[in-house]
Amino acid sequence: MSHFELLNPGFLTTYQDLGRPDMLKFALPHCGAMDETSLRLANLLVGNPESAAALETTAMGLTVKALDQALIAVTGADLGLELNGKSAPMCTVLQLEVGDVVRFKGKKKGLRSYLAVAGGFDAPVILGSRSVYLRGGMGAALKKGDLIQSLLLENQAPQAGRSLTDDFQPTLDLMAPIRVLPGPQIDYFTRKGQETFTKSVYCISPISDRQGCRTEGPSIERARGPDIITDPIPLGSIQVPGDGLPIILLKDAQVTGGYAKIGLVARVDLDRVGQLSPGDKIRFKLIRREEALELLKNQVQLLAEAREALGALSGAEKG
Amino acid sequence: MSGNTISYPIIRPLGEDSVLVEFEAKVNIEINRKARRLVHGLEQADLPGLKMAIPAYRSVSVYFDPFITTASQIIRAVETISTDLSQQEELPARLFRLPTVYGGQHGPDLDRVADVTGLATNEVIDICSTIRLPVFFLGFICSQAYLGGVPEVIQIPRHDSPRPLVPGGSFGIAGAQANILAVDSPSGLSYLGRTFVKVFNPSAFPPTAFRPGDQVQCPAVNEDQALAAGKKGMEEFIEPL
Repeated sequence: MSHFELLNPGFLTTYQDLGRPDMLKFALPHCGAMDETSLRLANLLVGNPESAAALETTAMGLTVKALDQALIAVTGADLGLELNGKSAPMCTVLQLEVGDVVRFKGKKKGLRSYLAVAGGFDAPVILGSRSVYLRGGMGAALKKGDLIQSLLLENQAPQAGRSLTDDFQPTLDLMAPIRVLPGPQIDYFTRKGQETFTKSVYCISPISDRQGCRTEGPSIERARGPDIITDPIPLGSIQVPGDGLPIILLKDAQVTGGYAKIGLVARVDLDRVGQLSPGDKIRFKLIRREEALELLKNQVQLLAEAREALGALSGAEKG
Repeated sequence: MSGNTISYPIIRPLGEDSVLVEFEAKVNIEINRKARRLVHGLEQADLPGLKMAIPAYRSVSVYFDPFITTASQIIRAVETISTDLSQQEELPARLFRLPTVYGGQHGPDLDRVADVTGLATNEVIDICSTIRLPVFFLGFICSQAYLGGVPEVIQIPRHDSPRPLVPGGSFGIAGAQANILAVDSPSGLSYLGRTFVKVFNPSAFPPTAFRPGDQVQCPAVNEDQALAAGKKGMEEFIEPL
């Protein structure tokens, strides 16, 4: 077990794991890591099950001090990782000594980093998950002075210094179009409106969080009113309320709602959307379901290869 | 689509791993019953790769593992079950009678509802105490039960601007719809009273005892009785129908 003192929580730091997808039946948001692949890789690096809880930290500022020896790994966004004031490598197992300070100096690329510790973080399990869900009162954001700790590592401890080769690191290409499948109410929008959606540049609005990304850009013309009879909102739904601006609904989003949905983010691009920051510019690209499935299959395959390369003891864990 | 009538249910793939089934576009308990019967039928069918079937007002989302089965297989199963939904069973409905304190700080809109409907506050309370509101589905966040069946005499439009924060357990109405807030939330409904029985408890499994198809009644009690009721689990307020 390792203990840490939180010197600074930064912009927002919460425990996140794979979330509560099985609780959809009880109308719970999915919850969990906004960039799930990065969470899984951080856990694999330190020898954890992929479902272990890590710290998801946003934008900048998180600073933790090790109170014991610890093995950690950081994946996801490049937030200027430092160890004792010097730049430290991501996607690499780092051995911390007592008193070592890990700090995220500031955003370089992407928005959310994952800090995993060997054993996983010891956060309360609520409805099958350690993921903090603020709006539902499940857990709380970490704050200055918090003492946090890991659980006992059940697998063999990994070698300090081992790292993921570039092949397995998700490409954080934030410029590439967000691939989408048609939404259930795509015909609520005129042909012109659908073209606006796929041909325009949208800017991520500052009013974006774990619930979803709001956007700014050209308004999407509709063929009828924005309201529908309250209906399911699958993960990654892109809804268009009365102002005509798409909102991408993410891990902490409500599971039902009454706005027309023009599209759904392809699963393979959900992690990337979880890395978008206010001010980032995006495009949407409609693809076919067969293509989305093929892309998803490749992503699952790549993760399986990473698992093998890291000699993960526990077999494939389904998300 | 001119001249053609739409044939329900409309069944189509949604995303990589779900199928959306839509019945007639109405908020109506009989149409909602079709959705619930389809869910029950799918759950009984033991389909490989089927993960979950979840009802809303008039639709069902069917989630599956796309590496085990395909959207077309799920669609075929939905079609088969939908051919005769009257033959499908549904979960037995239960009645929840949740002791509720009306008016004052717990029901800030009671007077407004009386004003708008032309009823005395006592009459509003009497009506609310006796009506049974069906649970259409669980949605939004935190197992929020969507209730309906509010009689016309006490129907009232939504507030023009929602209240920023209404405490969990508050009982509100708008049009034919009603809710008992699962957690503290902003809301545009008119809140008449509050139950302290926890309708959402994240430390329990399942986090709510409400199931789509159940019925809810909010009998008036005084504040002490309402608070005392809040010490019990919501299952203790189930009565057979």
